Amino acid sequence: MRSFLARQAVRLVVGVFGAALIAAAISAIGAPHAHGLAPFFFAAVGRLVHFARGDLGQSAISGLPVLQVLAGSVPQTLLMVLEGACLALVAGLPLGLLATVGPTRRATAPLVQIVTATPVFCAGLALAYGAVHLLHWPVSVNMPVGASVSPDQALQIAALPVVAVGLAGAAAVQLALRRAASEASGGAFRSGLKRLGLSAFEIERRFVLPQVLAGLVASAGEIMMALLSAAVVTEWVFHQSGVADLFVKSVALADWNMAAIVVFIFACLTFVAEFAGRIASRMLASEGRP
Amino acid sequence: MTSAPEAPAPLLRAILRGVGWCGLGLIMVTVFLSDFLARAPAGWTDATVMLSPPSPAHPFGTDLLGRDMLSETLHGLAQTGGHALLGALVAILCGGLFGAVAARLPRPLAFSLRGTLGVLATVPALLLAILLIGLTARFYAPLVAGLAAAPLAFVRAFDRVEVDSTHSEYARATGIPTMTLLRRDLSYEFHEMLGSVAARALAAVTIIVSTASFLGFGAEPPARDLGLMIAAGKATYLAAWWTAVFPAAALVILILFARLAAGLGEGERP
Amino acid sequence: MMESGALLALSELTVLRGGVPVLDRFSLRLDAGESAILLGESGSGGEALLSVLGGFADKADTVTGALRVRGSETRLPARRAKTPIRIAYLPNPLSQPFAPHASVLAQLTRVIARKQGSPLGSAHEELRLALERFPGSVTPQLLDAKPGRLDPVTIAIGLLASVSAQTPDLVLADHAVADLGPSAIRMLLEMLAAERKRLGFALIYATGGLQPPARLGGRVIVMRAGRVVEEGDALRLMSGHAHAYTRTLFKALPRLSLTETRSRSSARGQPLLQVHGLSYDPKAHPRDGITFELRRGAALALVGEEGSGRRALLRAVLAFDRAPAGRVVFDAVDLNILSQTMASRIRRRVAFVTGTDESLDPRMTLWGTVEEPLRAHLNLSGELVAGYREAALKRVGLASHEGKRLVGGLTAFDKRRLQVARAIVGAPLLVVIDEPLRGLDAFAQTIVREVLTDFRATQGPAFLVITADFTVAQALAEDAMVFHEGKLIERGPIVEILKEPREEATKALIQAVSLPDLSQDAAPG
Repeated sequence: MRSFLARQAVRLVVGVFGAALIAAAISAIGAPHAHGLAPFFFAAVGRLVHFARGDLGQSAISGLPVLQVLAGSVPQTLLMVLEGACLALVAGLPLGLLATVGPTRRATAPLVQIVTATPVFCAGLALAYGAVHLLHWPVSVNMPVGASVSPDQALQIAALPVVAVGLAGAAAVQLALRRAASEASGGAFRSGLKRLGLSAFEIERRFVLPQVLAGLVASAGEIMMALLSAAVVTEWVFHQSGVADLFVKSVALADWNMAAIVVFIFACLTFVAEFAGRIASRMLASEGRP
Repeated sequence: MTSAPEAPAPLLRAILRGVGWCGLGLIMVTVFLSDFLARAPAGWTDATVMLSPPSPAHPFGTDLLGRDMLSETLHGLAQTGGHALLGALVAILCGGLFGAVAARLPRPLAFSLRGTLGVLATVPALLLAILLIGLTARFYAPLVAGLAAAPLAFVRAFDRVEVDSTHSEYARATGIPTMTLLRRDLSYEFHEMLGSVAARALAAVTIIVSTASFLGFGAEPPARDLGLMIAAGKATYLAAWWTAVFPAAALVILILFARLAAGLGEGERP
Repeated sequence: MMESGALLALSELTVLRGGVPVLDRFSLRLDAGESAILLGESGSGGEALLSVLGGFADKADTVTGALRVRGSETRLPARRAKTPIRIAYLPNPLSQPFAPHASVLAQLTRVIARKQGSPLGSAHEELRLALERFPGSVTPQLLDAKPGRLDPVTIAIGLLASVSAQTPDLVLADHAVADLGPSAIRMLLEMLAAERKRLGFALIYATGGLQPPARLGGRVIVMRAGRVVEEGDALRLMSGHAHAYTRTLFKALPRLSLTETRSRSSARGQPLLQVHGLSYDPKAHPRDGITFELRRGAALALVGEEGSGRRALLRAVLAFDRAPAGRVVFDAVDLNILSQTMASRIRRRVAFVTGTDESLDPRMTLWGTVEEPLRAHLNLSGELVAGYREAALKRVGLASHEGKRLVGGLTAFDKRRLQVARAIVGAPLLVVIDEPLRGLDAFAQTIVREVLTDFRATQGPAFLVITADFTVAQALAEDAMVFHEGKLIERGPIVEILKEPREEATKALIQAVSLPDLSQDAAPG
């Protein structure tokens, strides 16, 4: 286990460093006088050194320090992603388990394909339409909502983006579960253990389910990527001013420094999720004493 | 919780794949005939029928500028489909094929490439696409979408190759050259999977292209693109649902058919 | 006729699978403590009988007949919970009966707890006590690992201990020790016999080999295509008065001959492989290096158990691993001084035939597998390639098979022959043969032996045979080098080694496959 932890830690560190290099390169694009390969290279190295010192530079749009701008938007996006992840697990996990380790697995395969074919922005707009016409909720699709809304309305407005992100996360959870179930069901052990005397329920519960859950947890990085992608689109659709929305605006207005830092943040989130997922998966998958 | 679960039965999978390919074929025919099937050229406006609901004259209704939504959807489908196809080609060549070849390069080089592209693969493809479009130009959006999908495709193709499989070891032990082993991977794996790989790439790139357009990083007006149309319809669709539903439906149908045609195995990554 | 008082009385048991009888009107009476050995090839009906008695018959199978267990009628197929006796199942560890991601100990303990209806703690204790009774050093701690990390013999001992811990009335053994290596087979069968004597359980053992009938004794029932051919004790069935099928089956099963003299191949020529002072163990002293020579057309067997050093020697000889000391000359070329490219060219003259079929790529087609060496090394036209391919497939009996069939869908018998066909087209100077008969039925083993012998007789490659079984060494080679614990302990013509083995380890290897009551020399038939 120790060597496994060490390997994953090295992988995380190398990955984060790689992401920092890429971020430095993107940031250097916006550096003045960085025309030509050598100046660009030195600009990128300079940026990397600044990042290492904690100096993330300034936003080219607002002129404010990047850290200050991010401090105002990262928590909002992280909260939305976290809430979406919880929704994805709460909604997606029980249904997914039933649909993957039971006899309904074959029937639900095409259904999952249909659900996952819907782009996030289409799902977001559909949710908003349903909220307006069926639930009579206010939505922030076409303009940001002003401050003069009741707490209930504010909750309703905030719920839709979370649901949209949660749906995207649930789709990723479903796919991860199905893949894990497919991998866990390979092999002759089911019939072998039945012949030895265990019941089907016991085999599924003791030996298949932990593997399926471990496989799901190991896909934490992929699920995080799906959630972050959904966050980018959702913030734009629902006029939420989070870091994902900031990224889109930064690229549109060529604020490469800001864009680079956001890419770095997203990459790190994915790496950390992958790291935590692999370790949790390892602990779930190894059954020691009965 | 019951007996041994199995992947969808081969017959069901074959049927679904058949439906997918037939659907894609139908879309392709529609795209080729879009100029003939459409009632109006792309962007044609009629100020007398602004925001009119679906009717016999305009089966899909009209938008804020009086454009016939059926015609616009057909033109948009043609544009988006064409862009997605181009992007998918780039993703297959620079991602899947490159990954399979890279796995057989000398170890240090292979793992350096795997590491570098592995880091890029942790950035959501949509963000990469937006970044690259911003760095280049919106004109290159289809190519860029393909490049953005390439790192993940590279990593999956790379990891799929069993460089140290036992049969590879025995083959090398009997003097079979590396190029022959690479040809094995490409002909026995990719050959069978070519259709699946292409359809899968098409689905992924369609999502990236349409989402980038929706966010304002794809086609520029007056070019028609489904993502752009949905973005334009966003302003009016709450009152006039047809301005966004039909382009969205066309987009979802294209992606769905591509996914079905890919014949995705049980839980296989799209 | 139904009989009361017997532990088990089966009458006219028939199992239909897809309308085809896999077991046809089978009757058996088994008393407490008695054993019945079902001897036959795959599909002879043994597996179907075990699945019906064990309560895990396929739901799609149609089962008819009558079963009485300790005098009371039991509905067929038998459901474990409803039979009044304790039944334990003993599988082969190579059939991968355990979940790959959980420890073997955990799974065995659960099995015992479930069968005994006892808590896990006491099941664990029962298993520990059972393991203590067995020779060797298998402990619960050792079994507390995933199946992939344990060798099959250790898992087999664990399975046997779990059966013992269940204190069964009846044990159903399904090819329980097949392909585990002769010494391990002997040890495990002796342990099973000892447990049977101690606990007094009845035994039904399905097998395709001679070791179980010889070591366990008792009644042998020869089966073919779901029917009983005949029944009796092993020695009587070996005699010339047995049914023709029985005689053919026994003749096909490998046995050691202590008197057979094999004339050396007339194709022996110049030295092909010369090894001087080769040291393959980094810890060994250079003076312990091995020196030997293999001439063109000759055949040498490297005999020893798993981990005895034969494969390490092979890897050093073929320069896959760098040897600490020594020199290897292959076809007049010193392998150690070659570059990768040149070594690759030399390796074209080497072919492999392995018992695990891992040398075959399951994605390839049958034709593609045979053609690949030709296409990779030679610039031949499609017609010529097809001609060589057809000739090779004909020689191994695969010419009638669909050429575009994937290797992954072939049987073990077909895959083994396919390896030989691939070797034939390569026209190798040296063929390395590693446990070529593993996993094959008796008649299939005979055919593969004949195919290999024919290959050597017609094309004249040298054979380097790696095996733990002296019967295989005797069938395919003339000389042998015997390995034990990483060292070469004995060498010489096989006939002389068999007549007068000097080392204890060599004697153990010979005894593992010697069946004194059933030896070729003893049988009159």
